[in-house]
Amino acid sequence: MFISGIGIVFTRGRGIDSLEKALNQGWSSPSLTGPIPAYRVSQETLTDTSLSKKIRRADRFSRMAVLSAVDACRDSCINVNERGKIGIVLSTAFGPHSTTFSFIDDILDYGDANVSPTKFSNSVHNAAASYVSSVLGSRGPTITLAQFSFPFQNALVLAGLWLNEGRCEHVLCGCVDELNAVMEYACKMKLKTATDGKIMPFMFSPAPLSVPGEGGAFFMLSKEKCQNNYGEVTGISFSGKTNGKPDITIIDSDGMTGDETLYRETTNSTVAGYSPLFGSMLIGSAFNFAAASLILKNQLVYKCPVTDNPSGIKLCSTTSETGINQINCVRICGTGKISTIIMQK
Amino acid sequence: MKIVISGIGTVSAAGINLSENLDSLRHGKRNSGPVSVFSSCLSYPVFEVKYLPEKWKIDGMRTLSLALAATEEALNDAGLPKQLSEFKAGVCLGTTVASQLNDMDFYNSFRKSGSADLKPVDRFLRGNIAEAVAHTVKAIGPATTVVNACSSGTDAIGIALSWLKSGICNVAIAGGADELNRVPLCGFGSLGILSNSLCAPFDRNRAGLNLGEGAGILVLEREDFYIRRGGKPVLYLSGYGSAADAYHLTAPRPDGKGLESALRSALYDSGISPEEVCFVNAHGTGTIDNDKVEGSVLSRVFGENISFFSTKGYTGHTLGGAGGIEAAYTAAALKEGWIPASAGFACRDDEIPLTPVTENTDIKGSFAVSTSLAFGGNNAAIVIERA
Repeated sequence: MFISGIGIVFTRGRGIDSLEKALNQGWSSPSLTGPIPAYRVSQETLTDTSLSKKIRRADRFSRMAVLSAVDACRDSCINVNERGKIGIVLSTAFGPHSTTFSFIDDILDYGDANVSPTKFSNSVHNAAASYVSSVLGSRGPTITLAQFSFPFQNALVLAGLWLNEGRCEHVLCGCVDELNAVMEYACKMKLKTATDGKIMPFMFSPAPLSVPGEGGAFFMLSKEKCQNNYGEVTGISFSGKTNGKPDITIIDSDGMTGDETLYRETTNSTVAGYSPLFGSMLIGSAFNFAAASLILKNQLVYKCPVTDNPSGIKLCSTTSETGINQINCVRICGTGKISTIIMQK
Repeated sequence: MKIVISGIGTVSAAGINLSENLDSLRHGKRNSGPVSVFSSCLSYPVFEVKYLPEKWKIDGMRTLSLALAATEEALNDAGLPKQLSEFKAGVCLGTTVASQLNDMDFYNSFRKSGSADLKPVDRFLRGNIAEAVAHTVKAIGPATTVVNACSSGTDAIGIALSWLKSGICNVAIAGGADELNRVPLCGFGSLGILSNSLCAPFDRNRAGLNLGEGAGILVLEREDFYIRRGGKPVLYLSGYGSAADAYHLTAPRPDGKGLESALRSALYDSGISPEEVCFVNAHGTGTIDNDKVEGSVLSRVFGENISFFSTKGYTGHTLGGAGGIEAAYTAAALKEGWIPASAGFACRDDEIPLTPVTENTDIKGSFAVSTSLAFGGNNAAIVIERA
């Protein structure tokens, strides 16, 4: 399947241009105002006057979903209304938990019979995908997935199956997760935090450092190559084995899933990792996948934002034009299971 | 490649296994009562699972307990071992409650003091139902939890169908599970769609839904794999369709075009015409809007003589579990050749162009359909075939 559009909302802004700019500018410090350093998305980023009527009741989670999905659609130049059925697959680890907690606030403060129906309906995990389908007028299959291991990879698998089965010509496939005080508290207590705000993807540590992030990343995936094309997904492996040697391996190590020593074994080609730009997230694969898509399209390798490299592996250490045919995006979950997304020019 | 339904497991207020469930349906038992699994001032009737095998009682993880109980029954029914590590097996399950970190005590403690015991967070992180069931049965293939609100179970079965057809796995555990929980009880209450009396799907005087809990699990296998291990197919999962309303967060699209599209897509996927369907197990929640839209669409797609019913009157609305439980009932009914009376129905609604079956009815035919409509405007349907 081909990548024909990308939309992204993250700490450095909105849109694929923001990611490209961040890749060119390199690392910047996260917000240090909360209990832990974190890459939060500003309210300004989530404001869009052209969509304000359609998403006036949407929470932050749904806004991140809608804005990234709409941008992916625009970037692809595919007209949803003309194309009819476009599938939507939204994957998340934690869902719209801020709204869930706000709803629980109502229960605790006002009692079971005096809660807000609007908060309840927005707290349901698939509310975000519903907003996306309503805003775009898309009436194809629409699925929301929630999982901690490989949320993006499983969404990609499903999108590929739908395209192959002919259920739709295009699938908007993406991930969203949000931060709030509860999540930051849980991260603070359960993860090792990088107090200087620097995720170090190439330390391969058994106790890596994290800086939690939030955001949304959506991709318009198409069965046929479209006018706008970033590259092609040619395989998704969960066996740890892949054929051929990639030009670049992008690893998802970001301190979020514990022991990262196994990543060391995936670094037999030139390696990159861009998690320091957007933060530690269980859905971080989607953001590295966006970076990989830009590399393939622009044939430009971006310098890793943090290059601490005690193992001396071969890193993308400068931004330079070069011929890139294949990128492997590798994620290792907490159980040690490996997933590889194989992308080609 | 045809996909066999080789095992069925169900737990709900109607019974702790498929046999008990079917017995309740056959005899019109409606095991409802007030909420007892948590405290609430809300007095709506609910359908609770009153007994769970001790081995599957997991503290603070009731949805997972329900899912594991039904999974064990389904694996036994399929003649598969309790551990599937030697097979290419996947797990695709739907839920709503188990996907949310909604522990009241944890959150209340955090908001009061800025700190809280993290055991509920640990439970939540261990409790993603597809991942947890896959871990328990040692399934090494894909594991995906679907959170499409009330169509989650049906969508999970549809995703598993795609996995199996593509060869990603040979065996899949698919369906849905949800526990009765204070958050949805309060939420549905706030929306004004809970009935103070027992629900009456498609009835003129219907006044809303009753919440329930349970799990419905199908074991699905590629036919070649199933036959190779000595099975003789009786039931197939032959099609799945899904479509969005793109209309409203909680209300179904009045013209029903989303549901119609999902149904036609499922029929197309099965390669059959509407005339070949012998009955429909409808979503039929008992709310004014759902039943009106669904009844109209069923009439439009299948004609006014289609036999249909809702089983929400026996189980309550089990949310993410509903699609799994209703798929199990649909498969069992098709296999046994009878469908149950639609519990709660008494008076025809002039705004709904057809009426559900009012007594247990023998059926003849090879194909049956189960539908799900959900918050967010999701619509899903599956087609089950008798060999």
